[in-house]
Amino acid sequence: MTKPLIVKGLTKSYGSVSALEGLELEVEKGEIFGLLGHNGAGKTTGIECMLGIKRPDAGTVLLLGMDPASDRKRLFERVGVQFQETGYHDKIRVSEMCGMTQALYRDPADWRELLSTFGLTGLEKRTVSELSGGERQRLSVLLALIPKPEIVFLDELTTGLDSKARRDVWKYLEKLKAGGLTVLLTSHHMDEVEALCDQILILRRGRTVTRGTVRELVAQSPCETLEEAYLWYSGEEENKSESV
Amino acid sequence: MKAFNALFKSEFTLSVRDMNIPIFGIIFPVIVAVIIGLVSGTKPAFEGADYTFIEQSFGGFAAIAVCATGLMGLPLQVADYRQKKILKRFMVTPVSPFKLLLVQVLVNLIMSVISLILIYLICALFWGYRPDGSVGTFLLSWLLVLAAMYSIGMMLASVSPNMKTASMLCSLVYFPMLFFSGATIPYEIMPGGAQIAMDFLPLTQGIKLLKTTSLGLPADNTLLSILVLGAVTVVCAIVSLRFFKWE
Repeated sequence: MTKPLIVKGLTKSYGSVSALEGLELEVEKGEIFGLLGHNGAGKTTGIECMLGIKRPDAGTVLLLGMDPASDRKRLFERVGVQFQETGYHDKIRVSEMCGMTQALYRDPADWRELLSTFGLTGLEKRTVSELSGGERQRLSVLLALIPKPEIVFLDELTTGLDSKARRDVWKYLEKLKAGGLTVLLTSHHMDEVEALCDQILILRRGRTVTRGTVRELVAQSPCETLEEAYLWYSGEEENKSESV
Repeated sequence: MKAFNALFKSEFTLSVRDMNIPIFGIIFPVIVAVIIGLVSGTKPAFEGADYTFIEQSFGGFAAIAVCATGLMGLPLQVADYRQKKILKRFMVTPVSPFKLLLVQVLVNLIMSVISLILIYLICALFWGYRPDGSVGTFLLSWLLVLAAMYSIGMMLASVSPNMKTASMLCSLVYFPMLFFSGATIPYEIMPGGAQIAMDFLPLTQGIKLLKTTSLGLPADNTLLSILVLGAVTVVCAIVSLRFFKWE
């Protein structure tokens, strides 16, 4: 069986600014893959090219064995996506948003069950704009899971969540992963990456700096923790790394 | 079909909840019709005319909702969905964002139809309005006016980079069309010089066509109106497709 996601030589620039250069990655079924890097490092561009929203200048993407640009109708029955900022219709209620999303798929998950899993039960009649930041964030992850996806893309999945809510989301993802769900996520929280990711890849100005497991990446760096290693790799601690 | 129905239900509900279209597309034209009806409803349109003032004005009333939905409702909604990246989200579902736009057009169209029926009922019940021309020809003209206005609206949505520009452009087009095309203030009471200026607005041509067909007048001057409306529809649709962006 082919891997759920195979990316080869993905390159994209905006005018003269290069956003992504030769990104290569493969994600195994049931794996959680972390795409890391600072803001502007190319994570979102990468995801958008993988989903066929942006046309890459070069490179190929094979998502569940399909070309995301030409097979979108068939493909997106089986792919869930949470964008970094999810916009909602004015005055739409939680129940309406879930119901409408559910109606887009042939074999969707029961959104009421998901609401209870994500601790949002009782908020059905609220408008999405009345939700707190954390509640809205959980809703956006929940919506990505409505298609019962085989692979899900989560761009900054727990931004704005408190510790308890983050751990609840992690636990749920672990459970889905055990059921065979493949995940590609971006995150700025290294505790989250450490807790969830089987493989990580760090981008810096569109280029791949390094890749491997959390343990490997820490071991290959002069650092003790993933947090420090991440900063070392991603270039934040440039001066420090030179003095090491 | 399940997706289309769900989208339609959702978009229609939101449109009613939002109240902009019901106010400007339905309540407002009804008020205009009632005021003009009360002031000069059953008087002859001019001395010696064989039709009443309200009969003459009906074509204008019929265009108000078309104007409100086509030049405000539809383009602002599309610009809003683009700005909020709702169209982008639909790109990663099995349902094309194009379908969402189609549903929006349909919702606005239905609001215009509701408005047209209500105005007809009010004019018919209170001021004895009866269409003199062929109903079929009138409806065809109405659809042509609608196509032209929706096409202008989609063009405005396409060329606007953001919501702010879209609302500015829509207001710039909507208000002059509403007041200086004969939709609300009757064309016939305007001075001759103003009428010439008004003739340049596509909606003025649309309302002339609607008046001619609703009054069953001879179709001498309708060719120009039809050509103008047709050209506006085609040109704006091309510009709109050329500049349209999903995000």
